[in-house]
Amino acid sequence: MPENNSQSNCRPDSCVQNNSASRACTPYLPTRAILSKITEMAYDNFLFEFEQIDPIFRSCLPGQFVEIWIPGAGESPISVCSGSVGETLQLLIRKAGRVTKALFNLKPGDWVGLRGPYGHGFPVDLYKGKNVCMIAGGLGVAPLRSVWQYLIEHRRDYGRLTLIYGMKHSDEILFADELIALRHSQKLELFLAAEDVTVCHIANLEIEAGRVTDLLDLAELSTDMQVAICGPPVMYRFAVERLRRLGIADENIWLSLERHMKCGIGKCGHCYIGGKFACQEGPVFQLTELANMHEVIEYPREKIQI
Amino acid sequence: MSVSSEKNVQKSFTLPKSDFDQFFTLLAQMGTVYAAVKVSEQSFAFRAVTSAKQIAFDAIRTILPPKKFFYPPSETLITYDKDGIYENEPELEFKVIFGVHPCDLAGLGIMDKIFSSGHADSHYMRQREASFVIGHSCMPDKHCFCQSMGSDCAKSGYDIFLTDIDSDYFIEALTPAGDQFIALAQPILAGATDKDHERNHHFWETRSAAFTNGFNSSNLKVTMEGEWDNKLWDELGERCLSCGSCTPVCPTCYCFDLVDIASLNNDSGSRKREWDSCQFTGFAKVNGDFNFRPTPVDRLKFWYRHKLHGFDDAYADKTCVGCGRCTVSCPSGIDDIVAVVKALQVSSAAKTSEGADA
Repeated sequence: MPENNSQSNCRPDSCVQNNSASRACTPYLPTRAILSKITEMAYDNFLFEFEQIDPIFRSCLPGQFVEIWIPGAGESPISVCSGSVGETLQLLIRKAGRVTKALFNLKPGDWVGLRGPYGHGFPVDLYKGKNVCMIAGGLGVAPLRSVWQYLIEHRRDYGRLTLIYGMKHSDEILFADELIALRHSQKLELFLAAEDVTVCHIANLEIEAGRVTDLLDLAELSTDMQVAICGPPVMYRFAVERLRRLGIADENIWLSLERHMKCGIGKCGHCYIGGKFACQEGPVFQLTELANMHEVIEYPREKIQI
Repeated sequence: MSVSSEKNVQKSFTLPKSDFDQFFTLLAQMGTVYAAVKVSEQSFAFRAVTSAKQIAFDAIRTILPPKKFFYPPSETLITYDKDGIYENEPELEFKVIFGVHPCDLAGLGIMDKIFSSGHADSHYMRQREASFVIGHSCMPDKHCFCQSMGSDCAKSGYDIFLTDIDSDYFIEALTPAGDQFIALAQPILAGATDKDHERNHHFWETRSAAFTNGFNSSNLKVTMEGEWDNKLWDELGERCLSCGSCTPVCPTCYCFDLVDIASLNNDSGSRKREWDSCQFTGFAKVNGDFNFRPTPVDRLKFWYRHKLHGFDDAYADKTCVGCGRCTVSCPSGIDDIVAVVKALQVSSAAKTSEGADA
């Protein structure tokens, strides 16, 4: 018999779902939510909205993630993509693996399972009173949307806001309508780039030909900026090198790292980065923290040519 | 009264080996007894036993460590149907695990810590609570190096511990459940005398001197940190088959995968947890076919670091207990932890002396 019986962290509502409110319950039990709306964004990227969600999801913070479960297919960790969560939860999902493909077979009214929110997101409290630059690559724009929405909801608490968003092809742009509105509102400075630009079908959105790193020069960042980055693994080293060259200190750079968080609660081992659970201590890490960790391929250890 | 209160204070007892059958009967009254049984010429495994005769008292390491009793290779965590999602709470069989060696007890102590911390894992905890663990002394073979890892003397993970002192067992209790059992077994036990304590002490002295395998572990973490880029990892990685034999046999490997098993029309099903291995190619893969540990070198180094340096998990220390199972089970002979540590230490020492010369 084990000597230390720790307190269970289970939530009473999920116990009720299991009719056993009196005892410790499994941390792997999702709660049901109803798929209410599917909006096509671009290609295989869709915005899914869920209602009748567990009230626990109202505590979601920018950069945190949830585990979405499609019965029969499995679970997938997905970043929260709105600044706050009320009656509905929005998740931007690309059709990619087994679970996300199964999600695309569902229709409004069907149920899914949700667990979370998990992890440490972007430090929006620490950003208070400061200038913030958000750098998104591809699908990385989804977690950063939770940041810009949060910052704009609390606009007076923050200084200059800059959003830099790069993608492979201009057709792949996500949240285009929202970005147009943002540009008009002048609540943040917006810079967009794509490696391939076709005639932009979206009015009023100028997309430069180039990469995120090119935009960093255009954006005229101030050295005191707090920087939040999310993108594909290859993007980080280039972006960080360029930021350093622009005089931004490592301690002001925050990266959201992608790993496959299978359990979300620091048990299954899949999301380990240099001996830290990305699902517990991440997914957002301060760059200085990564300096002393092994196997962080996102951290530039050698000088790289940009 | 005074006699009985004195007995309550008494923590050490002896049992003549000739009375072990009676002791076994008491164990069997608690639940199903599992003990090491000889299953082939060279191997032992924990199996359900119904009589003391079946037990291999002199067993070396079992094929699988006792973690399998509380964290089975495959278990259903959740079931679902059209109406809801339910926690799977199977009827529990109370398990009496007899003959767990100090290395494996240390392993159980580490597993307890991992699964009870933070979001406590109710599946593990429930099975662990429905158990009674009896530790047993052992003598090292050529692969044992628990002494180097500091897990050669049982400190946690058991309810009572039996040390083989020739014609008797020297018995100590650790937990309240252990005390309760001792109280129950009182009629066949004798309070340990000074002589018995001396015999017990003598056994452990003899055993400590019997280790032929091991290393000085005082600088192990520093060595692992400093030798992260050692060429040895490349050599070992080249020979690694990524078969994952080293992880199921490890008393402290806890990584798992979660999979859904759906009925044909998917109106019901279950969600299972299955042992996974960080040595498998896809363990650190994410979407878009990106693999954070693409080569056997990356994966082997990762595993070695968890064992000999430790991660920031709930245990936060080295998780190797020196049982030697990985060394024995690795088909490529690259999990000879003792040889690896010694090679790294030589390299580390060479660097230090170079530094001193300069």
